[in-house]
Amino acid sequence: MSVTTLLAETGTITRFAGRFFREGFRPRYEWQELLYQCYAVGYQSLPLVGITGFIMGLVLTLRLRPTMVQFGAESWIPVMVGLTIIQELSPIITGLMVAGKVGSSIGAELSSMRVTEQIDAMDVSGTNPFKYLVVTRVLATTLMVPVLTLLSDAIGLFSAYVGVNMQGSTSLMLFVNHILGRLTYGQVLPAVAKTFFFGFAIGLISCYKGYYASNDTAGVGRAANSAVVAGSLAVFLLDLVAVLVSTALGLI
Amino acid sequence: MVKPMLPTPAPAAAAPLPAPTEAVLTVAGVSLTFGDNHVLQDFSLTLNRGQNIVVLGKSGAGKSVLIKCIIGLLKPDAGTITVLGQDVGALDHAGLDRLRTKLGFLFQSNALYDSMTVRENLLFPLRRQWLAHTPTQENELVQQALTDVGLADTAALLPAALSGGMRKRIALARTLILRPDIILYDEPTTGLDPITGREIDHLIRAVQAKYNTSALIISHDLACVRLTADRVVLLAEGRCYAEGTYAELSANEDPRVHDFFI
Amino acid sequence: MSQNSPGNTVRLGLFTVLGVGFLLGLLYLMGRQQNLFGRSLVVRADFRNVSGLLTGNSVRLGGIAVGNVKAIDLLNDSTVRVSMSLSTDAQGFVRQNAVAAIGTDGLVGNTIINLTAQAAPAPPVQSGDVLRTKTPLALDAMLGTLDISNKNLVAITRSLRQMTAKLDTSALWQLLNDQQLPAHVRQSLGHVAAASAQLQRAATDAAQLTQGVRQGRGPLGYLLTDKALPAQLGHAGRQLASTTDTLAATVAGLRHQLLAGRGPAHTLLADTTAARQVRQSLRSVQQSTQKLDQSMTALQHNFLLRGYFKKQAKQKARAAADSVAHPGPPRPGS
Repeated sequence: MSVTTLLAETGTITRFAGRFFREGFRPRYEWQELLYQCYAVGYQSLPLVGITGFIMGLVLTLRLRPTMVQFGAESWIPVMVGLTIIQELSPIITGLMVAGKVGSSIGAELSSMRVTEQIDAMDVSGTNPFKYLVVTRVLATTLMVPVLTLLSDAIGLFSAYVGVNMQGSTSLMLFVNHILGRLTYGQVLPAVAKTFFFGFAIGLISCYKGYYASNDTAGVGRAANSAVVAGSLAVFLLDLVAVLVSTALGLI
Repeated sequence: MVKPMLPTPAPAAAAPLPAPTEAVLTVAGVSLTFGDNHVLQDFSLTLNRGQNIVVLGKSGAGKSVLIKCIIGLLKPDAGTITVLGQDVGALDHAGLDRLRTKLGFLFQSNALYDSMTVRENLLFPLRRQWLAHTPTQENELVQQALTDVGLADTAALLPAALSGGMRKRIALARTLILRPDIILYDEPTTGLDPITGREIDHLIRAVQAKYNTSALIISHDLACVRLTADRVVLLAEGRCYAEGTYAELSANEDPRVHDFFI
Repeated sequence: MSQNSPGNTVRLGLFTVLGVGFLLGLLYLMGRQQNLFGRSLVVRADFRNVSGLLTGNSVRLGGIAVGNVKAIDLLNDSTVRVSMSLSTDAQGFVRQNAVAAIGTDGLVGNTIINLTAQAAPAPPVQSGDVLRTKTPLALDAMLGTLDISNKNLVAITRSLRQMTAKLDTSALWQLLNDQQLPAHVRQSLGHVAAASAQLQRAATDAAQLTQGVRQGRGPLGYLLTDKALPAQLGHAGRQLASTTDTLAATVAGLRHQLLAGRGPAHTLLADTTAARQVRQSLRSVQQSTQKLDQSMTALQHNFLLRGYFKKQAKQKARAAADSVAHPGPPRPGS
C-alpha cells in the first residue's frame, strides 16, 4: 500500500468519523438498535473475553512466580499482576478479542448489506442507514469495550488470586489490600479511558470497511478481514499513544 | 401456494384509468456523469397515474441509475425530477423520507434484511416511517400484504429459507405495505426462471389493478415488457431513444429498436 | 437488528451494572485506602530533606496508616513543608508533640512519613498544627557507614588469609597434617619393645648359665654333662647379634623418624602414649644392658669361657659373612 493510498484511506476514515459525530448527535436516535448492538457487542462477547481474561491472569501469575520468588518478592506478585492486568493486558486483549469477534462480524454484516442493497433499501424505507447501522454500532463498541475490559479486569484479577493460591496461600483480603495499596487513580483511570478509544476505533474502522465495501461478494470477505486487521492495529497504535500521553502527563 | 390471489387482468384492460392525464412522475432533462461515462444525458420521461412504463435498455445503459435518481439515492448533475408534485432534488432529508412513503422500490436483489423474519422485514418500513399503528393494525397490514403476494403463511420465516421467487414476492409485499402511489421495479424478473418470472409479471399487473398504482419498471426481459408495459421507453446513449406501446416499438424498423424485439 | 427481547435487555443491564460496578468499587476502595472519602484534618511538618516523598504516600503512626501526604512545597532552599491529611479517626492518637520522620517502607519500598508518639503528655493535634521533625536515618548515610565497614572487613580478611597461607606451609602444620607419622612411630616402638624383650630373655639365660657355673658344678663337668649349653649359648649369641642388629636398625629408623619430625619434642608432643612407651622401653633396655654387662663381665672373667668367647667372636664374624652355614657347637676346651 503506497503512502498516498494510506493517507487517502486515513482521510476518508477521518471524514467517516466526522460524519459519525455530525449525524450521531442529531435526532432521531436509534435507541432500540443501539440497545441491541450493545447486547450483541457486549454481552455476547463476554464469554470469549472472560475466558481469555481468566487464562491471562492465571498464566501471568504462574509465569511471574518463579522470578519473583528468586528475588524474594513473592508478596509483590499480586501488585505486579494487578498493575499489568489493569493497565495493559486486559485492555489490549479485550480490544483484540472485540476487534476479532465484533470487527469481523460488523465488517461482514455491513458489506453484505451493501452488496445486497439492504443499505439502499433502508434509505428508501425512511431510515438513515448511517444512523441506524453505523452510529449504533460505533456507539455500542465505544460503550461496551470499556465494560468488557472492566469485567475482564475483574475476572483476570480473580484468576490471579487463584494462581497465587495454587502454589502459595494468600487470603482474598490480603490479596485485595496488596493490589489496592499500590494502585493509584493515575494508573487506573487512564487505563479505563483508553478503552473507550479502543472501542471507538474498532467500531469506526469495521463500520467503515463494511459500509464502503466494494460491490461484489469478494468484497464481503475483504471487508471482514481488513476490519479485523486494521482494528487490531488501531488498538495497538492507540495503546502506544495512551502510554505516551500518560507518561507525558506523569500518570504512570 | 405461489399462485397470485388477485385475478390477472387482461392486457387490454390496462387502458388508462380515471384520471389519465395526471402526471405522478416527471423526469425532465436529467443528466448524470460518472467520470467520463455519461450515463444519462438529457433524459426525460413522464409517468401518469395508473400507468405502467417499462424502461428498456441494455445492461449498463443507465436504467438502474435512473430509478436511483428518482428515489433520491443518487443526485443528478442536471435536470429535475418531480414526484407527486415535489421536486426530489430540492427536498431535505425529512421531506425525502416523507416522499418515499409514497414511493415503493423493488430492488433487483430484493434487499430483504437477512437477520429479520419476513414479518419483521415487512414491519421495518412501517415502523421506521413513524406511522403510528396499533399492533392489531400492524398485523392486519402484514397479513394483507402477504396475502396480496400469495405468501400468507411465511411471516415467521427468515429470508434465507425462501426461494428466489418467494423472496421477490416478499420484497414486493414490503413495498406494498406502505400503500405507495408509485412503485419502481428494478429488473423484477432478472435471475428468475421464466415461469416464476411470468408469475411476478402477473403480480405486478394485479397490484396495479388493486391499488391503482403507477409503476416504472426497469427491464430487459421482453416477456416482462410485453406483459406489464402500458408504454415502453427505450433507453440508449443516455437518453430516450424511442417511446411507444409494445406493439409500436416491436414494429419499429430502427435497427437499434428492432434488436431488442427479435 | 432490533431483536430486543426483555430477557436480552435484562442481561445487557446486568452486564453493564457488573462492569461499571467493578470500576466504581475499585475506585471507591482505592479512595478509602488513600483516605479520600473520610473526614480528615491537615497538619504540617517542615523537613530539610524529604528523600523523594510524593503526594499520596502514606503517613503512619506506629506502623498503621493514618493518613497520606496532601502536598509538598518548598518553603526556602533548606525547608520543605509537607502537608499531611490525617483521618479524624486517628486524631485522638496523634499528639501535638508527635515527631514526624521520613522513612521507607522496606528497603526498596515507597517513602513514607512515620509519626512517633512522645512520652510527655500533650493535647491531640488540631488542623494546621506544625509537627516537630527528626532527621531520618538516611539510607545513603547508612550505606556510607556500610562502605567503611566493608573496607575494614576486606583488610581483616586479607591478613587472615596471609596468616593461614603461612600456617599452611609451616613444618608444624606438615607434621600435624602427616597422618602416617604416628603409625610409623608406634610401629618402631613395637620393634624396640620386642627387641628389648628378646634381649632380656637372653640376658636371663646368660645369668642362669653363670649361676650354674658359679655354683660349683664344675665348669668342665657342666660342659661335659650339659650338651645343650654350647648350643644354647651359640643361639643366645646369635640372637643377641641379630637383636643388636635389629636394635641398631630400629634405632636408626627411630632416629630417622624423629629427624623427619624435626626433633623428638614434636613426637612427644604429638603422642604422649608413644613417648611413655619409648621411655619405658629405654628404661628396660638400660636395665637389660646393665645386666648383660654384668653377665658378660662375669663370663669374661671365667677362664674356661675366655677361649670360647674368642671363638664366638670369630664365628659371629663368619656368620655375618655367610648366613647359610650353620655354626657348629664350639668344641669344649679349645
